[in-house]
Amino acid sequence: MTALQQAPVRVHPARRAGRYAVRLFLAAGAVVSLVPFLWMAIAATHSTSDLFRSPPPLLPGGRLLDNLARLQDTIGFGRVLLNSVGIAVVHTVLSSLISAMCGYGLAKYRFRGRGLLLGAVLATMMIPFQVLLVPLFQMMASVGWIDSYQAVVLPFLANSFGILLMRQGFVDFPDELLESARIDGSGELRTFYQVVLPCVRPQLGALVIFTFMAQWNSFIWPLLMLNSEDKYTVPVALNTLTGLSHVDYSGLMLGSLLATLPLMALFLLFQRQFVAGLLGGAVKG
Amino acid sequence: MGGAGGTAARDIGGEKSDEGGKAGGKITVWSWDVAARAMKRLARTFEKRHPGTTVDVVDIGYDNAYDKITVGLRGGSGLADVLTVEGSYMPRYIGNFPSGFYDLTSLGGRYGGDFDRAAWRTVTGKDGAVFALPWDIGPCALYYRTDHFRAAGVDPKLLLTWDDYIAAGVRIKEATGRKLLIMDSTDAGILPMLLQQQGQSYFKGGRVAVDTPEAVKALTLMKTLHDKGLVDYEKGWDGLVTGTKEGKATTTPTAAWWTGTLNDEMPELKGRFGVVPLPGFTADGIRTSNIGGSTLCVPGQSENPRLAWAFIQFLLTGKTNQVSMLKREGLFPAYLPALDDPYLSAKQEYFGGQAVLDVFARLARNIPPVENNKDDAKATDIMISAVNGVMLRGKDPRAALESAARQLATATGRERVK
Repeated sequence: MTALQQAPVRVHPARRAGRYAVRLFLAAGAVVSLVPFLWMAIAATHSTSDLFRSPPPLLPGGRLLDNLARLQDTIGFGRVLLNSVGIAVVHTVLSSLISAMCGYGLAKYRFRGRGLLLGAVLATMMIPFQVLLVPLFQMMASVGWIDSYQAVVLPFLANSFGILLMRQGFVDFPDELLESARIDGSGELRTFYQVVLPCVRPQLGALVIFTFMAQWNSFIWPLLMLNSEDKYTVPVALNTLTGLSHVDYSGLMLGSLLATLPLMALFLLFQRQFVAGLLGGAVKG
Repeated sequence: MGGAGGTAARDIGGEKSDEGGKAGGKITVWSWDVAARAMKRLARTFEKRHPGTTVDVVDIGYDNAYDKITVGLRGGSGLADVLTVEGSYMPRYIGNFPSGFYDLTSLGGRYGGDFDRAAWRTVTGKDGAVFALPWDIGPCALYYRTDHFRAAGVDPKLLLTWDDYIAAGVRIKEATGRKLLIMDSTDAGILPMLLQQQGQSYFKGGRVAVDTPEAVKALTLMKTLHDKGLVDYEKGWDGLVTGTKEGKATTTPTAAWWTGTLNDEMPELKGRFGVVPLPGFTADGIRTSNIGGSTLCVPGQSENPRLAWAFIQFLLTGKTNQVSMLKREGLFPAYLPALDDPYLSAKQEYFGGQAVLDVFARLARNIPPVENNKDDAKATDIMISAVNGVMLRGKDPRAALESAARQLATATGRERVK
């Protein structure tokens, strides 16, 4: 690799032009996807009334702290952020574990009705959420869970997408490895945690990111379940900033900006895992 | 259904002399925006006056409030004891969930005469049963830019009819280059307002009424405004606010609550706005209409309907609280006795010393009541495309409305007027 890069490479001019065109295209794509973030950051530092000016302000203003104080004052942003983090973390840990276990079971254990079970898991993916909304709501109401955190987390712990994703990861897992673990006297749980799970890190990393993002951004279900302002998650709380004749855009922008930070942190954290897992697989080949 | 069995609404019961004195315990109230703020403030006063009670006001946000309420109504549980529902929306709920709300007639019926007729119409079902009390209303008038009118030499007081309005618009455009009003091409624009001004909605007596002579007049007026180049098209609420702030248009025909938006979002335009009654379809015609307004109701699943009613009664049926909510939160009362308060005739600095609330208070008593029902959503969709066809693709108003009426009749299984 290094030798190749150091040697002067003659590239055909047409090819080089093509390469520049690709870069230009990618740069344009990057600008298009970054500008909304930039605008969000700029808008978070102005008053709402300034945002309605035209042309809109293009440089950061000096209202960031005011907006932050108002956000804390009107929706208790600190508390709300904590709620969101708590719900998303608990949900992600439990749901990923359940998905991994189910996926492992469906891929590696032979039992009567396995195909049927897999079909059933697949089938639940086809049911639109809107259909489940009212029955699920009634279930939560009948056990008295409305306005509780567990009502937000529990119904979605067994996630068919996650189960299928993990199952695909386990299908190619060598049976020999499992057998040798068993011969060495490892119990099923220990085999799962110490032999199997470390090998599917890439899938697990992807699943964690997916699950966390889905729960973090989830809106309609927490909105239906949570009835106290101090239990709201970030999306539900930010939604209350939109009124009938007044929309607190600067608060919304600041809140949305702050809400993306944990997601970015998570992504950076698991991206390394992701890459490490991929490389590990490549070397073992 | 939790609590409300059968198809008939549960009666709130109680004697007329019963002033909620026995009420105790806890209730939850759902609302949004400034309305939630107003109730959070006054809930403390209520609790002091009724020891042993707790009123928990929750801001559920406006954008998805109806999702939350509708699921609760369908699920039969999980709703608050008092709900805020917009006036134009209440008839949909009464129609779709006849047993979803407490029938408040025995306690609330006697207030009928105290509330604005148009608002009262939205809270009553068949046979005059009362399902909610009106809170605020949105009487309409014409906001105008004093500087633009002066520059063009147009006297806003002389805009008696919509024809005068158009003629003034042409003159102002020549003098200042400004258009006359902002409309949104993704909704039906000022059509619902113009219809209510003439005493109708999309329906009349349960029949489809979108191609009546009044509707043709309204849509023709909108087309004329467009054809003369007097309409500035902006998208949605944000477009309206930005466009007004920038002075793209010189008038805004809209409701009383717009004063709050002007104050909040355009402090730099202080002294540049005035308010006159809406132009009429005839010189001596009705000079107002209504946009917005909300009501408070008690869902049938509430376990403490007496306290819920006591709170609604406290909040809405007295002059003091109504005026305080107008002053502090800008909620224009549907409760008519409150409109006599001296606060309404006070001069407003933002409007260059004009007593604008007084203009709205005078107009509020003349808002024509109109019919809302559970097919409003279907009607709105069909009417938006009809209006777009006329405004943007130059179709003939009468033909477009006739075809809309046919579609709406098919979609709803209702007959057509005439």
